[in-house]
Amino acid sequence: MPRRFSHQGKSLLLGVLILIFWLAAPTFIKQFSRVTFYEFQAPAWTALNYLHDLQDYWNYRQRSKNELIEAGIDMARLQAAYSLRIQEADAIREELGRLERFFELPSLPDYHYEVARVVRRDLNNWWQTLTIRKGRIHGIETGQAVVYSRGVIGRVREVHTYTAVVELISSPRFRSAVHIEGDLRPVEYQGGVNPGLGTPSGMARTIPADVRIPEDGSLRLISSRLGGVFPDGFVVGHLDRIQVGEDGLFQEGRVRLDPGLNTVREVAVLIPASQRRSERVQE
Amino acid sequence: MPKRKRQQHAPQAHKAYKQRLVLLYLVIALCFSLLAGGLAYRQLLQTESYLAAEERQNYRRILKPGPRGNIYDRNGELLVGNRPYFSATVYLNELRPEFRREFIRVLNRRREQGLTPDRFALAIEARRNVVQRYQNQINRILDRNDVVEPRRIERHFSQNLLLPYPLLLDISAEDYARLIEQLPIDSPVQVTADTARYYPHGSAAAHALGYVSDSQELPVGDLPGEGLLTFRFDGKVGRTGLEARFNEHLQGVTGGEIWSVDPGGFQHERIVFEQPKRGQDLVTTLDIRLQRAAEQAFGDYLGAAVAIEISSGEVLAMVSKPDYDLNDLTPFIPHTVDARIREEGGWLNRAIQGLYPPGSTFKLITTSAGLRRGLIEQSTEIYCPGYFRVGRRTFRCHNRSGHGHENLIEAIRDSCNVFYYDRGLAMGVQAIADEARRFGLHEPTGIELPNETRRMIVPDPAWKANRFYGESWFDGDTANLSIGQGFLLITPLQMAVMTASYARGVTGITPTVVRDQAGNPGSRRNQRAIEAIGITDEQLAWIHTGMIEAGRTGTARRASSPNFIAAGKTGTAQIRRDGRPATLAWYVGFAPADDPQIAVAILIEGVIGDGAIGGGGATAAPIARTIFEQWIGNSDIELSQR
Repeated sequence: MPRRFSHQGKSLLLGVLILIFWLAAPTFIKQFSRVTFYEFQAPAWTALNYLHDLQDYWNYRQRSKNELIEAGIDMARLQAAYSLRIQEADAIREELGRLERFFELPSLPDYHYEVARVVRRDLNNWWQTLTIRKGRIHGIETGQAVVYSRGVIGRVREVHTYTAVVELISSPRFRSAVHIEGDLRPVEYQGGVNPGLGTPSGMARTIPADVRIPEDGSLRLISSRLGGVFPDGFVVGHLDRIQVGEDGLFQEGRVRLDPGLNTVREVAVLIPASQRRSERVQE
Repeated sequence: MPKRKRQQHAPQAHKAYKQRLVLLYLVIALCFSLLAGGLAYRQLLQTESYLAAEERQNYRRILKPGPRGNIYDRNGELLVGNRPYFSATVYLNELRPEFRREFIRVLNRRREQGLTPDRFALAIEARRNVVQRYQNQINRILDRNDVVEPRRIERHFSQNLLLPYPLLLDISAEDYARLIEQLPIDSPVQVTADTARYYPHGSAAAHALGYVSDSQELPVGDLPGEGLLTFRFDGKVGRTGLEARFNEHLQGVTGGEIWSVDPGGFQHERIVFEQPKRGQDLVTTLDIRLQRAAEQAFGDYLGAAVAIEISSGEVLAMVSKPDYDLNDLTPFIPHTVDARIREEGGWLNRAIQGLYPPGSTFKLITTSAGLRRGLIEQSTEIYCPGYFRVGRRTFRCHNRSGHGHENLIEAIRDSCNVFYYDRGLAMGVQAIADEARRFGLHEPTGIELPNETRRMIVPDPAWKANRFYGESWFDGDTANLSIGQGFLLITPLQMAVMTASYARGVTGITPTVVRDQAGNPGSRRNQRAIEAIGITDEQLAWIHTGMIEAGRTGTARRASSPNFIAAGKTGTAQIRRDGRPATLAWYVGFAPADDPQIAVAILIEGVIGDGAIGGGGATAAPIARTIFEQWIGNSDIELSQR
C-alpha cells in the first residue's frame, strides 16, 4: 500500500512539475508546441477524411445501375442548367465591364476560388470552426472569405501548411459588415452563442430605423464588399423580426442562418485576384 | 523605626494613591466617553454625510443623451432626422495593463541610456505610445496617417476617464464597414454610434426649422446619483427655429449609468443602467414641395416669402433669402461657414425678423379704414393728374402722367397713389393707424417660432411725438402712411396674415407652424380672438373685386395663370440703407380668387444703391404665381385626402 501511494505521489509530483514548467515557459515555446501539436494532428484528420471519402466511394459502388443512370440523367440536366447560368453570368460580366468603362467606374474586386473539403468540425458555445483540407501551399491566407453554395461560411482564422481553420459565421467571434438586400447601408453582423446542435443564429445590429420586415416574409442579409473581405451578394441569413436596439438609434434582430452550416462538406475560399497577381510577380 | 513609620504612613499614601487612581480612571473614562461620543456622533448623526462621501468617492455617473425626435412636413415627409454618426473609440480603462507594461519598458530604456527618468513625463509618453498603437491599427485598415496628441490624451485622462477616448470621429459608412469587419472582436477599439442632425432637403426652410449645437446641459430627469461625480456625453440643444422653440419636446430622454470605481478612478462594476430614449416627433404645417418651389422661384433674390392656408392659418412655406444649407452646420458650425453666412446676412429670418415699409400693399388697410368710416364707396371717384399737393410739398403717383378719374376698384387695380393720398387725408392718420392695429400689424403675430421681432411700427402722432422728442405729425406723414410709406414698418409674415384676413373676412388669425394633431405639442393656433373685419360683405367684395382686377389686368396680373385668377396687390417701396437708396418689391394676394385657399406675401429686397429690380408686379408677382400653381396643382390630387 505505501508503495502505491509513493508511486501516485511521484506521478502527481511529475504532473505538478510539468504544469509549473508550462506556466513558466516563454510564449514562443508554447506557441511552437501548439503549432507542432496541430501539425502532427492535422495529417490524422486528413487521413480520416480520405477514409470517409473512400467509404462514400464504396457506398456509391453498391448502388444499382438504374440508380446510377437516374443520377447521370439528373447530373446532365444540372450541367445543362449550369451551362446556361454560366453563359448568363458571362453576359452580365461583359455588360458590367461595358458600364464600368462607360461611367469610368473602378472595377469591382475580383476573386479566384479554391475549393476545399471539410475535414473537421468544432462546434460549441465558445467557438465554431471548420478545418478544411487546403492550406498555405494552396495560397490560402488568414482573413480570406469562405463561401459555399448557399452563401457565406465564414473567414479563415488560422492557416497551416496543408490545412486551414475557418471561423464560422455562427461563431460569436465572427463580425462582419453586411447589407439588407436592396439597401446599400452597412449593417453589423455578429455570430451568436450557438450550441453544437440546432439551427445556428447570429445578431444583426445597426439596422437603420426605417427598415421594416415585410408582412409576408423576412429580410435577407447579404454580404457586402464595403468591409473589404467579402464580395457583394452572398447570402448571410434571414431576419424574421427586428426591434429597437439598446441605444435607441438603430434596430437589431436575430439572424436565422442556414442549418446546412453544420453539415457542409465542401467550401470555397475566395482568394483576391490582386493576391494571385502579386504571387505571380514574385515567382 | 523606619518600618513603623512606613506602616503609619501606608494608609495615607494608599489613600493618596487611590485618589489619584480615581482621578486617572475619571480621565480615562472621560477620554473614552469622548471617543464613544465622537463615534456615536459620526455613526449616528453624520451617517448620511459619510454615506454621501463614500458614494462620491466610490461611484461615478455617466449621462448619455437620447436622440432627438424627427421633424416632418404636413404630408409626412421627413424634414429633419438623425443620421448615424460613427466614431472609433477606445476605453482607456481597458488599456491599464498595457500602460503599465509600456511605462516599465520606457523606464528601463531611459535607465539603460543613463538618463534620469521623470516619472510623470514617462507615464504620459507610455499612454501616448499605447494609444498610438491602436491609432495605427485604424490607420492601417483605413489607409490613414493620424497621430494622437499627448495633450488630448492627458486631458481626457484627467477629465473624462470614464468616457471613451475618440480616435476617429464621423467616419463614413465605408470606413465603418471596414472597421467592424477588420478590427479584432475583442479589441479595446470599438466603433460606437451616435447621432447627428440630418436635413434631407438641405437649405429648404432652414430658418423655420433651425439648427442645433452641442451642449452638456442635459435634462437629467429622475436619474439617480445626483450628487455623484458625473461625466457627460455631448447632447444637442436647439438654437434657432423649431429646434429651439420645441427643444424640450424634441429632446430625447437622457440615459445614464452608475459605476463603482477603484481608487484610481477606473471603472469596476456597473451598478445602474438606464437606457436613453428618443425624443418625440414634431409634425409641422410646412409643405416641403411648396417650400422648395418657392425657394427655387426666388432664385438669387434677397427677401422673404410666406404662404398661409387661409382656412386654418397654417404656414405652408416660409422663405428667407439668403439662407444656408443646414447640413453644413452639423455636427458643428465651422468658423468659415459662420463667417460666410454672417457676411451674406443669412442668419436673419427675414420673414419674421425683417422690418420693411409695405408700400402700396398697405392700401388695402387704407381702403378698409375708409370703407368703415363711410369715406370710401365703390363709386367714390378721384381725379389723378399724376401728382398730389400737400401744403407746399408735391407727392407723385407712380404713373407720372396720371390715371385720370379713378373709382375704388380702379384705384386698387392701378395702385393709384393720388386716390389714397386724398382719401387718407380725408380720414386722418388715426383712422388708418387704428385699422392697421385691428389687423394686428402693431404686434407680433404669435407664431411659434422664436425671436419674432417686436419692433414693428404703426405710427401715429403720439408715437412720433414720443420717438422724435415732441415733433408734430404733419399731413405729409399721413399721405405717406396712406400708401404704406414713411415710418410704417412690418414683417412679411404680418402681411401674409393680413392678406389671409382679407380673403377670409376675419381678423385675429394666428399663424402656426405646428400641426394640430395627437403627439404634437399644443400650437398657438387661435391665440387671438377671431373677429369679423367689421365692414359689410358688399364692402369686402369691393376690395376683393379690386384685387381680382389687379390680378386680371392690373399691376398683379403676373401672379395669375391661365388656370386661375389670383386676387392680389403689388407694392414698391423705397428705403435707404447705409445712406443709399434701395427698392423693395412686394406682392400680397390669395388664390384661387373665387375660392380662396392660400394667401401669400412676397418681399424682394433690391440691392443697395442699385434699384435695378422691377416693381412688385414684375419681380414678386411671378414668384407668387409659382407658389399658387404648385399648391393648386397639388390640391387637385390631395384635397380628397385631407
